[in-house]
Amino acid sequence: MMPLDLARGGAPLAFAWRSLVRQPARATLGILGVAAVGALLLDMLLLSQGLVTSMQDLLDSSGFDIRVAATDPIPGKPDIEDGAAAAAQIAALPSVSAAIAVRTEDADIQLADGRPTRATFAGVSGGRSRPWTILRGADIRGEHEIVINDHAAQAIGVAPGASVTIKAYCFGGAEAAPAIPFRLAGIAEFPFDAPNQSGAGTTIASLADACGTPDARTADLVLVTSSGDPDAAATAIAALRPDLRAFTNTEAVGQMQQRGFTYFRQISTVLTTITVSFALLLITVLLTVSVNQRLGEVAALRALGFSQGRVVLDVLFESALIVGIGGLLSLPLGAALAVWLDGILKRMPNLPAALHFFVFDPQALWIHGGLLAATAIIAALYPMSIVARLPIAATLRDEVMG
Amino acid sequence: MSGVIVSAANVTRSFAMPAGAVVAVRDVTLSITQGEHTAISGPSGCGKSTLLHMLGCVDTPSSGTLRFDDQDISTLNDRARSLLRLRHIGFVFQRFFLLPMLTAAENVELPQAEAGVARDERRRRTLELLEYVGLAARADHRPSQLSGGEMQRVAIARALANRPRLLLADEPTGELDQATGEHVASLLDRVNADGTALVIVTHDPEMAGRARRVLTMRDGRIDGEVTR
Repeated sequence: MMPLDLARGGAPLAFAWRSLVRQPARATLGILGVAAVGALLLDMLLLSQGLVTSMQDLLDSSGFDIRVAATDPIPGKPDIEDGAAAAAQIAALPSVSAAIAVRTEDADIQLADGRPTRATFAGVSGGRSRPWTILRGADIRGEHEIVINDHAAQAIGVAPGASVTIKAYCFGGAEAAPAIPFRLAGIAEFPFDAPNQSGAGTTIASLADACGTPDARTADLVLVTSSGDPDAAATAIAALRPDLRAFTNTEAVGQMQQRGFTYFRQISTVLTTITVSFALLLITVLLTVSVNQRLGEVAALRALGFSQGRVVLDVLFESALIVGIGGLLSLPLGAALAVWLDGILKRMPNLPAALHFFVFDPQALWIHGGLLAATAIIAALYPMSIVARLPIAATLRDEVMG
Repeated sequence: MSGVIVSAANVTRSFAMPAGAVVAVRDVTLSITQGEHTAISGPSGCGKSTLLHMLGCVDTPSSGTLRFDDQDISTLNDRARSLLRLRHIGFVFQRFFLLPMLTAAENVELPQAEAGVARDERRRRTLELLEYVGLAARADHRPSQLSGGEMQRVAIARALANRPRLLLADEPTGELDQATGEHVASLLDRVNADGTALVIVTHDPEMAGRARRVLTMRDGRIDGEVTR
């Protein structure tokens, strides 16, 4: 039991604790209710920014901080007609340290007589930067070499050094180009691949060969690494190539936030409001019932000389204890719930494996704490007003007559 | 007036009710002096508890003047009245109103803590008071572990915690059997004999008969006074 240090400053909290635990079932109900609501609240806060934070992390982890695309892309055609040249021009800018052109098509990868796997097939040109990370084996060093991801390697049962054939489906076409052989240089991780998605990477020239069109110039986008100031680099790129549009990672995420991700923020806002309202009602009801059951005691304390402020503070502290303990319990509960919900949401097809809906964010913790603190205060307002306005003499009389 | 703790001059207390105002206390004038023992008796609803509440500064008159230590109570705000009660007035209630989650000692210590008494002094005073009421051995017991008489004795110790000059008791034996009530009444007599002014509201003629001054109320007025 919390020791009752009755010193003036410390008394209300200890006193409130004793008041709270005198009805253990009610206290437990209140604390568990707040824990459940707090867990949902935490998850809603994590969800509201999780996808954005995760996408930002994903983009940043790729090693490129600017993406350059055509201003007016034509469906079915590569976006940038002179991708390789554009990458070279951009790489020459002082504010840019590296730039590569990337073209992406679909392809079937298979061993000679094996079962194929349909993969996203990326071709790159330009510097030594790559939109993938080698896990085993080596990176591509020349033409007709390929790296594939783990999922593809397992799907067709190959290891680095093996020969595979590629049948590419280019420009959105349904018909495959003739199969051509590639040597598997290594196994790589492609940050934007979904967990069950096969991925492959090669040079842009080899990809053009696989497509049967020896045009190695076109690209879908140019990935750029700035020298440290992505905004300055994006401005320089826009000045150099007005026909292209350069987005920093922050700008790209900002656009996503304004479009697709608004959905999550809206859902989160609605559910946050509902959960906070529920917590408010729960605590207000519990405290009101509790206060109404001990009006005689409160009136007696007032008659004995306890100030109005002191008895009001006792109710506020009781509310703070319910919300504080429930709020602390809500953190591990919310974290566990977030992991579980994240797992469910990530089952959606074509989501990058590294993308998460619930991402821990210290700011969310602060908001969580702030909202719960506000809830504790607002929920206590009505029971506090009952205590503050309590007519001492009438209550003592009623208690005796009752 | 030397020795007067609280005085009421032409005090009236009425309550607004849906059917019209109800006057609980009418034009009462009286004073309570240091060390005196007064009983207020009368039938139910005659206004004796309302008068006690006004003397204890938990209720204010609708008209008339109430002075405590020669200070007009109507000039004090709620905080000042609370402080006055805390330091100078003790209350004993019919239903004890001990806090069930605190031990007997903690119940006695609570008003002292509110008055800002230092911890060691509180502990010493609490033990002294529990010994005074004969419950030192029950200091760590909760109210639920005490009998009715013991609870009322703890309540008396609590009321005396800050050394009040005036102790007000509203039907202090109302919830007790005769033998236990007698024990509590003796304790209150001893409190008064030790110098604390005592005002008791009671139905019980025997209890009232222990007082040196007995005021009888009817329809909100004092219609009889006997002094021994």
